[in-house]
Amino acid sequence: MADDTGDTGFRRLDWHTLTVPVDLPEIVDEISYERVVMNAGATWDYFPGHFDPEYAKRQGHPTIFVNTMHLAGFVDRIATDWAGPYSRVVRRKIALAGSIYAGDTMIGRGKVIGKRCNSSGSKPQYLVDLEIGVSNQRGELCCPAELTIEILED
Amino acid sequence: MADDISYRYAFGTYQDALQMVGARTPPRVAGTAVSGARIQHFAALVRDGNPAYWDPDFATLVWGGLVGPPALLMGWLIPQPWVPDGVRPAAGIAIRVPLPGRTFVNASNEAEFLIPVVEGDRLSVVEEVVSVSPEKTTKLGVGHFIQTLDTFMRDDGTVVALNRNTLFRFNPTEAAGGG
Repeated sequence: MADDTGDTGFRRLDWHTLTVPVDLPEIVDEISYERVVMNAGATWDYFPGHFDPEYAKRQGHPTIFVNTMHLAGFVDRIATDWAGPYSRVVRRKIALAGSIYAGDTMIGRGKVIGKRCNSSGSKPQYLVDLEIGVSNQRGELCCPAELTIEILED
Repeated sequence: MADDISYRYAFGTYQDALQMVGARTPPRVAGTAVSGARIQHFAALVRDGNPAYWDPDFATLVWGGLVGPPALLMGWLIPQPWVPDGVRPAAGIAIRVPLPGRTFVNASNEAEFLIPVVEGDRLSVVEEVVSVSPEKTTKLGVGHFIQTLDTFMRDDGTVVALNRNTLFRFNPTEAAGGG
């Protein structure tokens, strides 16, 4: 695709020449205890399952786990790392099929499954639909997601 | 630990819970405006180098300011875990639905981001209980699925995002074979 970097120096995805489907680069992120605690601190979500391993174990979990916002942030990053900073997430649907625990590795994979132009508003909105999945190091799909991003035009 | 400020549950029966379907909270305003510090700490958590979060010149030119990560939407309205006047902030409406479950886990989430949230925006939220399921048994335990709809607004009244969340409020199965 003929992306240009324009006047800001940042890459701009060319929606018009984008061909579907496209596989996105895989992103791997190791989730330490520090990251799970940082997750609680960054989101202000002090549900004890995100910082207290004893509480988590009493609820049937092996240890503390990341919250929905962290998983959603990783899903968004998979899309916008690929599409560049002239893109933004306009819709995201995720299912929490399994938890990502401290000590786990998150593996994010994505695919572009469609593109469309929404002309219902005052100016056309250039949209890209993606399917994204976050798995753990055992290959278990923990968070399947559907995402739509908007690509800004020049 | 169980007296966590933000996680005090209402307990009751499924019939009690159904009484709350359709209930909407009055608008609740965030304690502080969207800030660069929180934007960047969240971006650091997720290891996201998007200049919309890190480069004020780029972000202002393209989006009107440093962008609040869409994934942090709910986080802007979570109250501080402690406040000086000692008034306990309200928990989210989902765990104030009276049910038997002692704990919860999120099941699914669907969000629409109509307008970018940027540094300086002061957000408010209206929460609504959309539905409560009959009793279900999952691998985690026995409980109910609660669907809520959160509507996020700027202080000029513009709706910036809609968030539909489903959580499972449950009592764990004693011999749970792991998550």
